[in-house]
Amino acid sequence: MNYNPVTALAIFGILSVFLFLIFRPEKGGFWKWKKTSKDGGKTLIEDILKQMFHMEESGKIADIHMLRDTLKVNEGKLVYIISRMAANDLLNIERDRLILTKSGKEYALSIIRTHRLWEKYLAEKTGYDQREWHQRAEQMEHLLSREETENLAEKLGNPIYDPHGDPIPTSKGETADFNGVSLSRLPKGTKGRIIHLEDEPPHIYEQILKRNITIDSLIRVEENGKNRIVFYSEGEYFTLSPAVAENITVLVIKDDDFKDPGSFRLSRLKDKERAKVVSISKEMRGESRRRLLDLGFVKGTPIRVDLKSPIGNTKAYLVKGTSIALREDQASKILVKKEKI
Amino acid sequence: MEKEPIDKILDLAEDLRWKIGDDFHDELTEGIYADAAEIVGDVTRSENSGGRSRLDTKIDRIVTSKTWGFPIMFLILAIVLWITIVGANYPSSMLSDLFLNTIRPFLKDLAVQINMPWWLSGFLIDGVYMAVAWVIAVMLPPMAIFFPLFTLLEDFGYLPRVAFNLDYLFKKSGAHGKQALTMSMGFGCNAAGVVATRIIDSPRERLIAIITNNFSLCNGRWPTQILIATVFLGAVVPQYLSGIVAVSAVIGIAVLGIAFMFFSSWLLSKTVLKGEVSTFNLELPPYRPPRFWKTIYTSIIDRTLIVLWRAIVFAAPAGAAIWLISNIDVGGQSIAGWMIDFFDPLGFLIGLNGVILLAYIVAIPANEIVIPTILMLTVMVTGVAAGEGAGVMFELDSANETAEILRAGGWTLLTAINLMLFSLLHNPCSTTIYTIYKETQSVKWTSIATLLPLILGFIVTFLVAQIWRIFIG
Amino acid sequence: MSKNTNTGCESCPQHIPDDVKRLGVDTGDADYVVALAGNPNTGKSTVFNTLTGLRQHTGNWPGKTVTRAEGAFIYDKKKYKLVDLPGTYSLLSTSEDEEVARNFILFGKPDVTVIVVDASRLERNLNLVLQILEITDKAVLCLNLVDEAERNKIEIDERALARDLGIPVVPTSARFRKGIPELTKTIAEVASGEIVCKPHRIKNMPKKIKNAVEKLSSELRKQFPGLPNSRWIAFRLLEGDKTIINTLKKGELV
Repeated sequence: MNYNPVTALAIFGILSVFLFLIFRPEKGGFWKWKKTSKDGGKTLIEDILKQMFHMEESGKIADIHMLRDTLKVNEGKLVYIISRMAANDLLNIERDRLILTKSGKEYALSIIRTHRLWEKYLAEKTGYDQREWHQRAEQMEHLLSREETENLAEKLGNPIYDPHGDPIPTSKGETADFNGVSLSRLPKGTKGRIIHLEDEPPHIYEQILKRNITIDSLIRVEENGKNRIVFYSEGEYFTLSPAVAENITVLVIKDDDFKDPGSFRLSRLKDKERAKVVSISKEMRGESRRRLLDLGFVKGTPIRVDLKSPIGNTKAYLVKGTSIALREDQASKILVKKEKI
Repeated sequence: MEKEPIDKILDLAEDLRWKIGDDFHDELTEGIYADAAEIVGDVTRSENSGGRSRLDTKIDRIVTSKTWGFPIMFLILAIVLWITIVGANYPSSMLSDLFLNTIRPFLKDLAVQINMPWWLSGFLIDGVYMAVAWVIAVMLPPMAIFFPLFTLLEDFGYLPRVAFNLDYLFKKSGAHGKQALTMSMGFGCNAAGVVATRIIDSPRERLIAIITNNFSLCNGRWPTQILIATVFLGAVVPQYLSGIVAVSAVIGIAVLGIAFMFFSSWLLSKTVLKGEVSTFNLELPPYRPPRFWKTIYTSIIDRTLIVLWRAIVFAAPAGAAIWLISNIDVGGQSIAGWMIDFFDPLGFLIGLNGVILLAYIVAIPANEIVIPTILMLTVMVTGVAAGEGAGVMFELDSANETAEILRAGGWTLLTAINLMLFSLLHNPCSTTIYTIYKETQSVKWTSIATLLPLILGFIVTFLVAQIWRIFIG
Repeated sequence: MSKNTNTGCESCPQHIPDDVKRLGVDTGDADYVVALAGNPNTGKSTVFNTLTGLRQHTGNWPGKTVTRAEGAFIYDKKKYKLVDLPGTYSLLSTSEDEEVARNFILFGKPDVTVIVVDASRLERNLNLVLQILEITDKAVLCLNLVDEAERNKIEIDERALARDLGIPVVPTSARFRKGIPELTKTIAEVASGEIVCKPHRIKNMPKKIKNAVEKLSSELRKQFPGLPNSRWIAFRLLEGDKTIINTLKKGELV
């Protein structure tokens, strides 16, 4: 046999690159093949319906060119699919304008229902990072049957809102009220509660997550200018660009409801301070939330810092006579208020 | 059985659930704790409102301090490992003397007296008995020392503090601070380390800890590392340095194992395991003086003997297999010979040889019998005059003689280094695999835990071999 | 305190001060089934070992007992099977060990449930106690680790506690076998019905929840007149517990 270590290394290198290209998470050829192999246009039809629904919601009318650009498919295929959809009474073609029919709207709502339910499921019952929820739901919405969707809803206790704060349409196509205003449009001094964080586009969502901005937090707008928006929330000041603020929806509340501006995040509690638990953020979900409650992190519980880990930000807090260690991201989702001595 | 009223109740429940909203669980728990606070206020009087004993707080301030936290931790780990490795030497050699030099000849004589055919006595005594005896002699003493020591620390309450100190490192790789302990337990025995992961109550982190436990160099592999490091690495440097070089090489391998553990924890948490539920909570319990004798007793019964029993169950058939493949001839060569020929090319490619690969296959029940099997097979293949015959495992007291046999088998410095690497990075022993299956109840995770280190082992030894041959020759 | 028993041989039979025969794992034909519940790290397994004569390992680690252990003892000519449930902080969550504990107390219908609590951390432990008292009304509170509480200068009025909870309270220090004879006796008295418990029911709930629970549990009682824990079932239904829903559908409760 003709053995040469250099050749062996080269063969090994080529093989690894090859395997990497095929099995690379999400973008690998294998996964792409798996995604498109058994479909037959269903995914595209549903994506078109969803896109048209969102456009009509915001008062726009869809046409083929717009769809081609947003969905990135070739025009021939799109025309064919759209004519099939028109034949199936999902949409009407009026010259170059496309309008959803009643059954098309219902179909679109059922897709959105599945999408938001799946996001809720991922948030409550799995450990996927919130950056991944949207992408995974994008795939799942095409795969679940109506029955599976209803089973899922039942298992989750028929939730009303998805983890981003969007209302989940019911199986009859009704949606709960949604009276939020975009943060970017709120004047200085407005008080409100964050009710929705938009997860698209991803790079803006990433900005929101990085700042640790959470749903259900009470805020007060401190400054609203052309270049930046500043608001106060949970003991901290947040400065955002208008583009990011645009994607945060706030429910304006009356002054009386803006309770207790003195509360702040447990992660900011200093060494010898004594505090009481005010609440656990809605962002703390599922099993993690239940654990914290069971361990005694409930409203009114006295709490203080007991120990600090020699490296990193894990701290042990003294709660009801026991020292319990929490990581910083957990502590930042617990609101506390300094105790009056 | 009427069905209707029940459906009515369920409908009512569903209806009420919508009305009371999402916060039912929170509000119920708050309510229960409010009741609890009332009762406690009613029945207790306490001078110590914080609830934690002063002494505990004092100890904690020291063992988690920036200055003393880590030195104390490493010192304790080093002492435990040192006592285990050094302390196990004497009972181990006593046991192997008893099993191999006293009982074995006695059994052999007995077999001759009752006219047992050679193949049966070979199969039973040279095969089954030898493997079992070997496993007991090498495995029992270190475990009987390591586990009680570890259990004493556990009962005292120190271990959760270690998890607390190290949590940051493990968090970075997507794991739980408590993995520090299951990992340390793995230095004693991977199967016990896998069982110990029960203390991690978050599903994702527990699986990570189970799958990566094998990267802790266990008791069964320390002797292999020490022997090879002494015989081959120690020999290339001047006499006065050889001890230090050998010891650093072994420690280096153990540290490399820890590095691989972090790396694969990170890899797993970002890929196959990212969908598993992940929570974190770590309670730091009060310190309690351990009850010495009780601890010794329970740790020996609970951990040592159970693990040992499992190892014996797996070792007995392995001993039989080793004897059979060495003694059954097919077409003028033993089965072992054929297998060695078959594995030789692959072995060469990764800087090892067919003998080593075959030894790792038949010695899957326990890492302890890898070296004796390698020696036996090498002698069989090369025809060097040593050992006790085909299918009979042996070891030599003299390191130099061991080296001579291995060199006769074609071993070089590269073979030695790659054997050390492969000993760290290969599939877990069958006891551990079985334990992983019992703990996870999943073929998928068991296969990943088995194959991941093996694949890593092939890649690492392959790369080392090629680079070695390009640059060193 | 308790210097006389801590000799390292507390598991030897001649040291047992009461007339209990410890049977280890021989649990067949028991007259009564006793469940042992409690928070992690309260010495629950020590209590179990002391009562049964077994030697399950107990680490100073929250959450050590994951599987369910069983043992038995004979007291006053009656045989008691003791089931050691996994240590949990609560019974309301979805984790596996909580499900095991919850289902055993609810469906296994033990004759007595012994709840082991850490006397120094009573408030945290009461979370579980109050939940169990919603499920069963035959319970004994084992106030364990009283020696530690004493060292921490925490005084507990056991009588007041028993009155507030409506169940007998036995102070113990299982590591040193203090209070174990009293505990066995109390278990026997509750099992035989000599002591009748009037367990505490959770009071502090927001109005809307209280109303919902009342409505649902009265509906349940109408349907299943003998149901002792209709409030608990109502809690579980409001949480959407699938197991309970399915059992109700099959008509297997009661």
